[in-house]
Amino acid sequence: MRWLIHLYPGAWRKRYGEEFAAVLASQRASPGLVLDVIGGAVDARLHPQIYKSSSNQNENEGETMTNQMMKRCAAGGPRLSPTDQKIARTTMLASTLALTMLYLVLTKIYRSAPPVQALGYAIFPATWFVYEQTAYLHKRRRFTQVVIGFAGVAGMYLVMLAACEIAVRL
Amino acid sequence: MRKSKEDPELDDFGRFSEPALLILVSLAEGPKHGYSMTEDIETISGTRLGPGTLYGAIARLESRGLIEPLKSEDRRNPYQLTGLGERALRARLESISAVVRAGQRRLASA
Repeated sequence: MRWLIHLYPGAWRKRYGEEFAAVLASQRASPGLVLDVIGGAVDARLHPQIYKSSSNQNENEGETMTNQMMKRCAAGGPRLSPTDQKIARTTMLASTLALTMLYLVLTKIYRSAPPVQALGYAIFPATWFVYEQTAYLHKRRRFTQVVIGFAGVAGMYLVMLAACEIAVRL
Repeated sequence: MRKSKEDPELDDFGRFSEPALLILVSLAEGPKHGYSMTEDIETISGTRLGPGTLYGAIARLESRGLIEPLKSEDRRNPYQLTGLGERALRARLESISAVVRAGQRRLASA
């Protein structure tokens, strides 16, 4: 019966072949089972889905350039599990509270000095970078996460600082 | 019945719509391999899905982000519901429940 798997497209076999064979082996051979497998193979050829774990070449087959770009930009993937969403939300909330507390303390000490004002303006975009890092980059290497997260937060702060300095001088 | 535009739908799954719903119900209990899903679905519905039907539905659910494979040492990945899948399942069950309630009311008053 295992030979029936060869009726399916190559990309499909790479993605589901092993697990499909296990399910197939667990069922008693019958004309109904053969028809089911043949029907599935016809469907897989007529309506190919996106097989994520196959090679990059096969993964990109049949996809528009926009979809490929979106998948690349999403890095870890735009589809987050409930656990990933919870971690990202908690991290974002915690970083927002921490930065806000820091801003309030610095305001108390340095009042409305441009670096303090810049921090206030940078809190929202900075926490967005933190969220992006924990949500979309969670499958990337730790080094990549730190570099992108730090560069994003630092870059945002420097832009806000420059804007505040210019505003003071006008 | 009015459907929310944001509710992920299983309607475009064609003949895989019912197997897809059964898979989502099975995975609502926790992650499972294809074989475990077949066993569980047979227990809860009395229907034994063939591998062609099972994987036709799994491929559609996965490509639409309703389920996702978990990492596994062998190549037989277990699958779990995503947030989107959970919402799709809730929406579909709510819709079915409304039809069941309406049917029962009408039968009672007939």
